Amino acid sequence: MRSRLSTLFDALLPVLATLAALAVGAVMLLFLKVNPIEAYAALLNGAFGSFNSFAETLVKATPLLLVALGICISFRGDVINIGGEGQMIVGAILATWVGLTFTDYPGWLITTVALLAGFLGGAVWGGIPGILKAYFNVNEILSTVMMNAIAVQLMNFLLRGPMIDPAQADVASKIPQTARLLDIFQLPRLAPTRLHMGALIAVGLAVLVYILLWRTTLGYRIRAVGQNPHASRYAGIKVPRYMVMALLLSGAFAGLAGAIQVYGVNYRMITDGSASGFTGSAGFNGIVAALFGQLHPIWSIPASILFGALLVGANSMQRIVQVPSALITVLNGLVVVFVVSSEIWRRRRQRRRLAAAPEEEPSPKPDQTEVQKKEEAQP
Amino acid sequence: MNQETLLVGLAGVLAAAAPIIFAVMGETLSERAGVINLSMNGTILLTAMSGFAVAYSTDSLLLGFLAGMLIGALVALIVAFASITLKQSQVAVGFVLALTCRDLAYFLGNPFMGVAGPRLQAFPIPGLRDVPFLGPLFFRQELITYVSFLAIFLAWLWIYRTRPGLMLQGIGEKPAAAYIRGANVNLLRYVYTVIGGALIGLAGPAYSLGVRAGWMGTISGLDGIGWIALSITIFGGWNPARAAFGAYLFALLQWLGLVLQPVLTQVPSQVLQVAPFPLMILTLLLVNIGNAEWVERTLAAMPEGARKFFAKLLRTMRTSPPAALGVTFERD
Repeated sequence: MRSRLSTLFDALLPVLATLAALAVGAVMLLFLKVNPIEAYAALLNGAFGSFNSFAETLVKATPLLLVALGICISFRGDVINIGGEGQMIVGAILATWVGLTFTDYPGWLITTVALLAGFLGGAVWGGIPGILKAYFNVNEILSTVMMNAIAVQLMNFLLRGPMIDPAQADVASKIPQTARLLDIFQLPRLAPTRLHMGALIAVGLAVLVYILLWRTTLGYRIRAVGQNPHASRYAGIKVPRYMVMALLLSGAFAGLAGAIQVYGVNYRMITDGSASGFTGSAGFNGIVAALFGQLHPIWSIPASILFGALLVGANSMQRIVQVPSALITVLNGLVVVFVVSSEIWRRRRQRRRLAAAPEEEPSPKPDQTEVQKKEEAQP
Repeated sequence: MNQETLLVGLAGVLAAAAPIIFAVMGETLSERAGVINLSMNGTILLTAMSGFAVAYSTDSLLLGFLAGMLIGALVALIVAFASITLKQSQVAVGFVLALTCRDLAYFLGNPFMGVAGPRLQAFPIPGLRDVPFLGPLFFRQELITYVSFLAIFLAWLWIYRTRPGLMLQGIGEKPAAAYIRGANVNLLRYVYTVIGGALIGLAGPAYSLGVRAGWMGTISGLDGIGWIALSITIFGGWNPARAAFGAYLFALLQWLGLVLQPVLTQVPSQVLQVAPFPLMILTLLLVNIGNAEWVERTLAAMPEGARKFFAKLLRTMRTSPPAALGVTFERD
């Protein structure tokens, strides 16, 4: 009985943490002399108020979910991928190039190839820091951040130079954007809204990532390496290889997010010279969504929708009650901090519970525990 | 290029490195104590904006710098509280703060975009300024640059030549041992993280009131500096002297990029803008490669002479972090 109650409590913890964060946000709103109830009502209404606004929320949630899926893989492998922005950009560049170059082929073929190209581009951009970490011990947080900076300049160079929209090349304003994709290449829309096929692809992939992580050897090894690299090594797992795989797959999903952003939303690649000008910071917010979803691909779906809703709702909240949009970033941050801390608190509670009743301990593969014990026995 | 312009250029390199020096010294102190302050990139932007805003509104440069230090210390306090008291992941908290502070800086800084405000003037030191060669290089700088020289020296002295500095090394390497020796590990971690944060907070105003006077929002080109400073901290092996060398090397390379730009006209401008980042990755690779397993194996297979040479080379480049970096301390 007691354990069932605490399981329920554990499941509700992120929700409680979110409510706590919103409460802190309410205090900040009061300081800004804004009625928090009015503000949150505007936020909810903007995100879920109508069919259209809900569709818009899902459109914003799609890249978040795709990036979050990658983050689930890499963080489970104990590899911190902060390079989602750069990976999205490189994926989008490759995908856009495919669509603009091969115009004489059937639409479905090019769209598929382009999305695969995006997947591949992200994989390369994530794989490089992966190799650097696995074989050269280069801290992946720093290298992925630097790869972001490189990707931004690559994008600026291409979108202002070789890939610029011919219509923009001759005018003085020179908006950094590519030409528009042919209509037949665009991802089909699902309803009379802006919601597109990409959302379905993302949800389907969430299931696939779940299967990958918990039902395949590759996923098992990635998680084993993440939990205890030493034990994994003694169990015969080639640790560096799976570190690279974790970052590579993580980058691939971000790259796909970039490609889908081009083929489903903008129909061209466009920026304002900064990374977020193209990605809308989805490469970063996806990390937040994944952490919120407790690094579980399926839980990342509602988490992404929540943060998509925060993004969309923030716009209308800003419009209606005149609060700075930076407050939303702060709210986002608060939610993450509260959720992450509640997660850590939950784990400590769990550990204490396990210490009290050791026979309940979930046992990983026997050979691994064996090795782990041997490891611990050594001085 | 004659000698005089070269000297002026190199003096400019010393000045341009000053903000990075503060950030790197601050991060070094914080990480020596065992706390990673990953918020640095956002903190630098936020303090650059707020330092300029305060100096502009009060017409006092000193208040601008103090505001920067205060905000840097506050952000560090959040990192410390979240990681030491709440025992959260330092990476998650620091990263979220890095994003939040950056967005806050851009948002709150809007009214100050592009306005002309006060800035530091060169402060040549009488007597020393006229020493040939050294005078124009070191002693015709802005005040903040002299402070940056001092910061390197003091940080080095503190860590390696004082008793509390020894304790600082202890709480970063073996907190349990330091605790037995009577150190209040978590309190000291708080103190060093906050002091480190204040130093990082000096970096922002050092830009906005000094080398890159004014606040230009997203185009001020400061986004990314914090990540570079983090890499330099690693390159420096948490040793202030070596870290300072890294900061000056970076500033020198940036300056070379600027000097070379008119010469290499066929190279797209983005290449020179982006050059520091792959270079930083390469440096990180060089300082870390000695820790890699396959390198050891390759070394072992080499003939005696070559092995000694490469082993020594790798040892010189290699840095390794404080053992308890990012690990929370619980006495039990």
